[in-house]
Amino acid sequence: MIFFGMMTKRFFLTVAIVTALSAVPCFGQTDWIRTGTGIGMEKIRIAVPEFQAPGADAQLQAMQNTFNTILWNDLAEAGIFEMVSKSFYPLGNFGQPGDIRLPAWGNPPPNAVMVAFGNLTSAGGSLAMQGWLFDVRNQQTPQVLAKQYREAASDENARLMAHRFADEIIFRLGGGVAGIAESNLFFISNRSGNKEVWTMDYDGANQHQVTHLGSISLSPRVSPDGSRVAFTSFAKGGPEVMMYSLELSRMVSFPVFGGSNLSPAWSSDGTRLALSSSRTGDPEIYSCDASGSNLKRLTAYHGPDVSPVWNPKTNAQIAWVSGRTGLPQIYVMDTDGTNVQRLTDEGYAVSPAWSPNGQFLAFAWIRHYGPGAPGAQDIYIMDIASHQWVQLTHDGGRNDFPSWSPDGRHIVFQSSRAGGEQIWTMLADGSHQHKLTSAGANTQPNWSWK
Amino acid sequence: MAIHADIFETKDPLRGGFFASVALHGLLAASVLFLPAILGNIRGDTWGGSDNGSGDAMSATLVSSIPLPANPQGENVLAVESRGLSQSEPKPEEKSPDAILIPDKQSTLKQRQRAVTPTKPQPRQVAVLEDNRIPFGEGGPISGPYGTFNAGIAKGGLGFTGGSGDFGSRYAWYVDTVRRKVQENWLKYEVDRNASTSQRTYIYFEIMRSGAPANIRIEQSSGIPSLDQSALRALQRIDTFGPLPGDYSGSKVSVEFWFDLRR
Repeated sequence: MIFFGMMTKRFFLTVAIVTALSAVPCFGQTDWIRTGTGIGMEKIRIAVPEFQAPGADAQLQAMQNTFNTILWNDLAEAGIFEMVSKSFYPLGNFGQPGDIRLPAWGNPPPNAVMVAFGNLTSAGGSLAMQGWLFDVRNQQTPQVLAKQYREAASDENARLMAHRFADEIIFRLGGGVAGIAESNLFFISNRSGNKEVWTMDYDGANQHQVTHLGSISLSPRVSPDGSRVAFTSFAKGGPEVMMYSLELSRMVSFPVFGGSNLSPAWSSDGTRLALSSSRTGDPEIYSCDASGSNLKRLTAYHGPDVSPVWNPKTNAQIAWVSGRTGLPQIYVMDTDGTNVQRLTDEGYAVSPAWSPNGQFLAFAWIRHYGPGAPGAQDIYIMDIASHQWVQLTHDGGRNDFPSWSPDGRHIVFQSSRAGGEQIWTMLADGSHQHKLTSAGANTQPNWSWK
Repeated sequence: MAIHADIFETKDPLRGGFFASVALHGLLAASVLFLPAILGNIRGDTWGGSDNGSGDAMSATLVSSIPLPANPQGENVLAVESRGLSQSEPKPEEKSPDAILIPDKQSTLKQRQRAVTPTKPQPRQVAVLEDNRIPFGEGGPISGPYGTFNAGIAKGGLGFTGGSGDFGSRYAWYVDTVRRKVQENWLKYEVDRNASTSQRTYIYFEIMRSGAPANIRIEQSSGIPSLDQSALRALQRIDTFGPLPGDYSGSKVSVEFWFDLRR
């Protein structure tokens, strides 16, 4: 009996140790994702009472609604805030600092840490906004931020002001990482009948067409300064890299290298492009100046090499997809073509996207590829240094073409989970997934650099 | 006639001597017994000896300096109006005169007051004590909910020095940002799994106007190298904390970051 008791004890001890050891890597994983992406472990509880518009006419009321909705959504999607539910707020109107009684916001039920409030006024065709951010726990000097904007009165400008104010709050409280509320997405849509380059705000608003080539356009990549879009086009017959100037609103010249030229990618300083060219017969990775001159071949191995992407932090490495061992896998090399390293070891891995801080690669991966395998294509991110990876999407369908937001907290991607191919966005830890587009088929999103 | 020797008849001359001898021996024994006491009474303590006269050698300890109690306030007490190293007295809850306290809320009020008063011993100021003097009101840890954190395996805090000494209370949101960022960038799996407790560790760094950390160094090691390294790396991993508040006039703030490992 005693022997049995000892055995049981030992057994439970072993189980406890094994459980503890197996649990440790899980904690580690959430650790490194939240650290590397800046999403963070601890969310700031922020209350955002409606911005007041005293004596509002119909137009101002519409702008007020837009402003309040956009500000709320921007903060809710920022990834660093926990929004205090509006039903918990004290009663009253909060348009001026004098209206705020800090204990009423800091105590339960709101239990807020920060409160953002303000007012909108319209006079003489212009819209003015005053906004404050108060630290509820600091009784002496609660003011963190005070901003005033004035623009021509329009719904568009109300949206812009909300984005700006949200970005200011995120910049202050997010540890110096600029907000993304004013960033854009470029993507391919067929809703005009042809596959053309389109653009929209980061939240899916304001969608409009960029190119009108009447052909097939693919893989748009906006330059770091936001002045040009490089993309692959079939307008001249075979696939060619082409360049569209957003400042001039027209195509600008880019050399034709011969063969198929695909998947351009900008270096983060905007001076170099990497692309895949089959001018020698086999698709290889090349790099060239932004003008297309000074072409250099980087890979020389049998098998297709496509989808290059620069390490935006250093511009010293390129990740790309190579089929040199059969199925496509993700590789990394230095920008002179040396130091080649394979990152994925199985399945079918494509569409690498390097995070802004250079720490992670996001990519699309079918981990078990082939007959009889489940074959779901999902978005993964991998820590370059440790080769640890985490699966971000699990909802079925084909998920492909991830692209990082400039703050590194969000990833936009293409998914077929809701039927046709549409553009979805999520936080970089896989949470907050939602659809941005619905008309036509929308693919290959690319997030602007700022 | 028998010879009669009266030698035996003579009176025994030893008897008196015997008693004298016994008396003298008794005196000797008594003197042996009581001499130390008598001598002690006469001569007092032996030099260097202890009170009971057992004759121990004197022990001497070398000190580098005279351990006088530190002056917590420094010299210019009246120069600034700040309340000093730490917020010793929590600010009384301000109530509007006509407010009536709802009885149910009392418990939450008490919790709040308890949270404001720091229960942990506050860190001593190691990094900022240049020339062993603190101008009154400078430095000191942030009390309340801002400066302390709990990172799962460790409990820690931040002390800010800069400006006229009220950086921590005036820009509490910035302190909170720094705390959050340090906490998030600290990867717990870098710490040796066998380590369970450590001495209090102090790390010093500065935040430049741009928000970039600089001059990161360990002031006092935890005794666990992997823990020191993980904490250093947490700070090195951070590019920026965000620019210092616009109305703050200094070019940088000094931060002392301390923590205890508790697993």
